[in-house]
Amino acid sequence: MKKKLSLILALTMVFSVLAGCAKGGGAESADGVTTIEFWAAPNPTQQAFWQEMADKYAAVNPKVKVNVSAIKESPSSEASIQAAIAGGNAPTISENINRGFAAQLSNSKALVALDELPQFKEIVEKRNMTETIKPWEFADGHQYVLPIYSNPMLIGWRTDILKEIGYNEPPKTYSEVLDAAKKLKAKYPDKFMWGKGADLADPTAWKRWFDFFILYNAASDGNKFIEGSNFVGDEKAGVEMLTFVSDLVKEKAVLAKQATDPFETGLGVFTDIGPWTFDMWKEKYPELKFKENYDLTLPPVPDNVDPANSKTYADAKGLVIFAGAPKEKQEAAAEFLKWVYSDSANDVAWFEKTNLPPARDDLMELQAFKDVVAEKPELGPFAEAVSKAVPSIDNPRFNELQTLIGSEAFNKIVRGEIDPQTAWDNMKKAIEGELQQ
Amino acid sequence: MIDKQNNRLGWLFASPYLIYGLIFFIGPLIWSFYLAFTNWDLIAPTYDFVGLKNFTKALASPGVQASFWVTYKFMMLFVPLVTVMSLAVAVLVQGLPKFKSLYLIGFFLPYLSSGVVSSLIAKGFLSYNSPVNNFLRNTFGLDIDWLGTPISALAIVGIILAWKFTGYYALILTSGLESIDREVYEAAAIDGVTNRQRFWRITLPLLYPALYTTLILSFGVTFGIFTEVYQLTGGGPNYATNTWQMEIYSQAFKNLQAGYASAIAIMASVVTFISIFVIRKLLEGWGKRNGWV
Repeated sequence: MKKKLSLILALTMVFSVLAGCAKGGGAESADGVTTIEFWAAPNPTQQAFWQEMADKYAAVNPKVKVNVSAIKESPSSEASIQAAIAGGNAPTISENINRGFAAQLSNSKALVALDELPQFKEIVEKRNMTETIKPWEFADGHQYVLPIYSNPMLIGWRTDILKEIGYNEPPKTYSEVLDAAKKLKAKYPDKFMWGKGADLADPTAWKRWFDFFILYNAASDGNKFIEGSNFVGDEKAGVEMLTFVSDLVKEKAVLAKQATDPFETGLGVFTDIGPWTFDMWKEKYPELKFKENYDLTLPPVPDNVDPANSKTYADAKGLVIFAGAPKEKQEAAAEFLKWVYSDSANDVAWFEKTNLPPARDDLMELQAFKDVVAEKPELGPFAEAVSKAVPSIDNPRFNELQTLIGSEAFNKIVRGEIDPQTAWDNMKKAIEGELQQ
Repeated sequence: MIDKQNNRLGWLFASPYLIYGLIFFIGPLIWSFYLAFTNWDLIAPTYDFVGLKNFTKALASPGVQASFWVTYKFMMLFVPLVTVMSLAVAVLVQGLPKFKSLYLIGFFLPYLSSGVVSSLIAKGFLSYNSPVNNFLRNTFGLDIDWLGTPISALAIVGIILAWKFTGYYALILTSGLESIDREVYEAAAIDGVTNRQRFWRITLPLLYPALYTTLILSFGVTFGIFTEVYQLTGGGPNYATNTWQMEIYSQAFKNLQAGYASAIAIMASVVTFISIFVIRKLLEGWGKRNGWV
């Protein structure tokens, strides 16, 4: 009873008390200094990078102060941002924004259309990101997010286990993976080909970025899934992909139960890998060595698709400027971003510190980036695959839509409860129904 | 004159709570009612009044329907479990010759532990490659997907909650046991009652006030489950553990539908109030039969 009341209280408190808080004063303080609030991702390396940028900027531009703080995750960074906007306490800039959340925010007129800022064109040109930013255009033709990094999600393979079942390199097509799965189960009945864990059976929306969309983008050559308010998914590729997963399930080669680090412990042979993983491995699994006992590739494709051209999902996040901030602060924020991205050395520092590939067109061309990759060779495949990664859908109802992908199709396939065509049809129908609301 | 002064003093002493309640409960509650009739996400500069649309949508929602039933399923599992466990602890501790308080503190500690931490420990404990599951698989050939199967997921959450609240309720029940007059037991012993009769005919009826408290508290807990479900199952599999709080959280903070979430919160409140009212009446009926009311 008490808890129930507490929840109602908490919900309404967040909504009302914050709304009642001060809307913030003027943009400029008495000493003529404009202060901009910068919310960094709750990740020490990213926070350190932005603090360093803020300090350097203060040295060359004492009239602007950039206050860097980490986004609170109570209960999630999105909820904190939502509460801050509702309470009139939103920062001037925030990083760590994905396209889906940006679509929700822009739909509520909470974001500045960056392409309308005078600094935007210069930022894009100086950072050499003309091509990279193209897929980030929203359905209304505006750019609301300045992508900072773009992680092409790759597939990590335990090459040591593959060798034991007769493979000198990772399989690339569906039939090759299925063949390897059969050999794996014959030799090691307790191991799994796709060793991902309970996420595969969980309908939580964001989890589909790291399973469904990786495979769908590979199978469909990056075909869009939802465009505006229309479902435009490639049915042939989608059903083929679901059939592949279903076939793996039939071979008992998919681990969809809660497991601790199944890939790292050798329980599973492949899983999705992002570059943030390597720091954890360094501490916890130092025995994992790139090209020695694991390798990274683009996702497997249907047999009739060239694996070299496989596409994948781009786990990409960027910066937004909030519309609620005074114009002077928006202007100062845009100038700060222009300063940061006018020097490629800052992107190099970012890459070194965070392992996250900067969203630039010249990632594999500039020597400084090549030097980072030479030092950390496991980042090479990520840098090479940036152009092959497709960012997430930009529909403001992405959360509901991606939940339906899981609950209507993907999770059921993984649990072996439905056939691929029915799963696709049910999912399509449910998504179209949601889009019409 | 003295009455008036006493009145003023009374209001003065009550004022901190009243002001707190007004600012942090009544005000937001009224605003929550207002929100429930809008389609506002709290961010957009404009919004529309949608009448009862949020409520009709909630009634038809599988997530909300699941929340309704899941709460009662948790109730049927959690309340008997925690009551039996806390009663057992209280009776056992009461029978100890010394260090009663120390044992009670030990049982009370889980109540102070973070739900997040205990959930994460449980998650590790139940993972596919944990020693427990390895043992079950290798020895008995049992391969159980603890958190991926509706019944076991529900049971795991219920057991974690029971573990957490047992010590707290045992503390209340122990004080109830202590307040029972020893002479009653002595008289019963002279009459030759067995241990079983002593427990069912004397201890349990005389424990009614303490049991009433713990039962009302434990029924209330089932309407407020969030952390354990959020951490362990996310409301799944297939909404099998989707509590009211999970649904409200998902709609408010994931789907950014504050108006709709407020409507669900109001519906949850109504269900909670009605359920607790009915349960209270049933418990009072039991008390009446034992001469307590």
